[in-house]
Amino acid sequence: MNMEETNLESTHEFFDMWVKTYEATLGKVSEIPAIGPLREKSEKISRGFPLFFSLYSTWMDTVVDFQNISMEALKRMNAKTVTLEDKTGTESYKELYNIWMESYSETFKEFMKSGHFSSDMGRFTSNFLDVQKYNREMLEENYLKPSNLPTKSDIDELNKELYSLKKQVKELSGRINELSGNK
Amino acid sequence: MYELSSIEKEYNKLMSGFQIFLKMPEVSVGTTPHEIIYTEDKMKLLHFLPTVEKTHPVPILMVYALVNRYYILDLQPDKSVVRKLLDDGFDVYIIDWGYPSGVDRYLTLNDYVNGYLNNAVDLVRKRSGLDKITLMGICQGGTFSVMYSALHPEKVKNLITLVAPVNFDTQKGLLHIWAKNLDADKVVDYYGIVPGDFLNSGFLLTDPFRLMIDKYVGMFDRIECEPGDETCLIRNEEIVKNFLRMEKWIFDSPDQAGEAFRQFMKDCYQKNLLIQNKLELNGKKINLKKITMPLLNIMAEFDHLVPNEASIPLNDAVSSKEKETVVFPTGHIGIFVGSKSQREVCPRISKWLTPRSGLDEETPDTKIKTSKRKSKKELHES
Repeated sequence: MNMEETNLESTHEFFDMWVKTYEATLGKVSEIPAIGPLREKSEKISRGFPLFFSLYSTWMDTVVDFQNISMEALKRMNAKTVTLEDKTGTESYKELYNIWMESYSETFKEFMKSGHFSSDMGRFTSNFLDVQKYNREMLEENYLKPSNLPTKSDIDELNKELYSLKKQVKELSGRINELSGNK
Repeated sequence: MYELSSIEKEYNKLMSGFQIFLKMPEVSVGTTPHEIIYTEDKMKLLHFLPTVEKTHPVPILMVYALVNRYYILDLQPDKSVVRKLLDDGFDVYIIDWGYPSGVDRYLTLNDYVNGYLNNAVDLVRKRSGLDKITLMGICQGGTFSVMYSALHPEKVKNLITLVAPVNFDTQKGLLHIWAKNLDADKVVDYYGIVPGDFLNSGFLLTDPFRLMIDKYVGMFDRIECEPGDETCLIRNEEIVKNFLRMEKWIFDSPDQAGEAFRQFMKDCYQKNLLIQNKLELNGKKINLKKITMPLLNIMAEFDHLVPNEASIPLNDAVSSKEKETVVFPTGHIGIFVGSKSQREVCPRISKWLTPRSGLDEETPDTKIKTSKRKSKKELHES
């Protein structure tokens, strides 16, 4: 391995070697049953970092998008307000408000119609839900389960059971009605 | 001097508005007298008490969307599609879907269309003693009505759709564009019951500046301030009340049953299966060609939620010989509550529906046979 190289390939190569060495030596220790639960927990905790990072990065993209679009709206508004220069009184304030509203509303609507905004919002919502899901899992894992309290999946399971039971009752009632000639 | 007095006027307007707001007038919605004739889980079937001595024999069952509440059709006495239809002699029923909770998380589109809606239709048929009734679907309720009419054409005499999407592959409406990139699986898997607020924030984003700022400014701008004028005070209070009724409706967004939401988003908004006759409910494909009853397809020209392109293709997709498209120059909500709605939309529906709501009448294309109506005694016994 040539450590003088400056490209990313050598970094990857070094990292792979390090992982393999770790797994063959110290990593073996963490596989001992007594240490297993701790390892699982740390793995779960570390799984959150990339999720938080992705959310932060899409959030920043969204912020930048909105900043740019606000600037564009401001430019459009400025171009329209030239006509107001000679006017005074409350009517001119009203007109200014109307120009502001029209410029911002139209510019934002234009932006929101774009595929760019749509895909950004989709990514943001998706990443947001990933983080929310992770937070809930952690809450369940660390607080609800040890306290012997029902988790979301426990409740969902009950809801599903209740749904299928209700459905079955409705079907059976329908059949009974049919057989008794009520329907 | 002029400038000072006009500033004073604006200030007085603002203060008058605040004073009315501080008193917080009570607003009531959905006031047309009605009875609840059927309940199933969260769903209720409402029957409005007729306002004429003799109603048209064929009743109307109105089906509203799962998002927001049905009472937009009966917002206030002078802005009520329901009241207008009652006054025109129709027997009107409406489905209130209620507020789904965790236990409704697994309800599917099939449960809504072949379950609740079908049971409501059967009950209305039974009460009227007729085989077929008029189905009037609004917005998403219109989509459900279209699905239902294709699956059970033998129970629907007339189909009216109001601002109802059937073709979801359009780039005109923002919701149609955004829905393509929404991971419905993630939303449903996380929330289970999709929060109404989550959807409402999407609706507000369709025009954030007008919906979150301008409409409030507009409300204060409508306040009049003539010192000592009592009738002006009454008018102001009415302006605020009307505004609050609308606000109440806008933010009254029920949560959505997860599985139904998932299927509606994926099969309708993302894959556009309904118009292609590929959508399945309970393993049965919905073929729109099976819709043969008269169809009135109503749209709003400036609809920002359901663009006309989403509704127009319905007429070509069905086999009905009598089909009509009407577009009114209004918006998605204005079509129910705007003054135009009361002046033009409702009379147009009545005009189309009246000759089709009689017993054994000769319709332009076919004679529809209806069964003998049940007497009140028979109804009571059944």
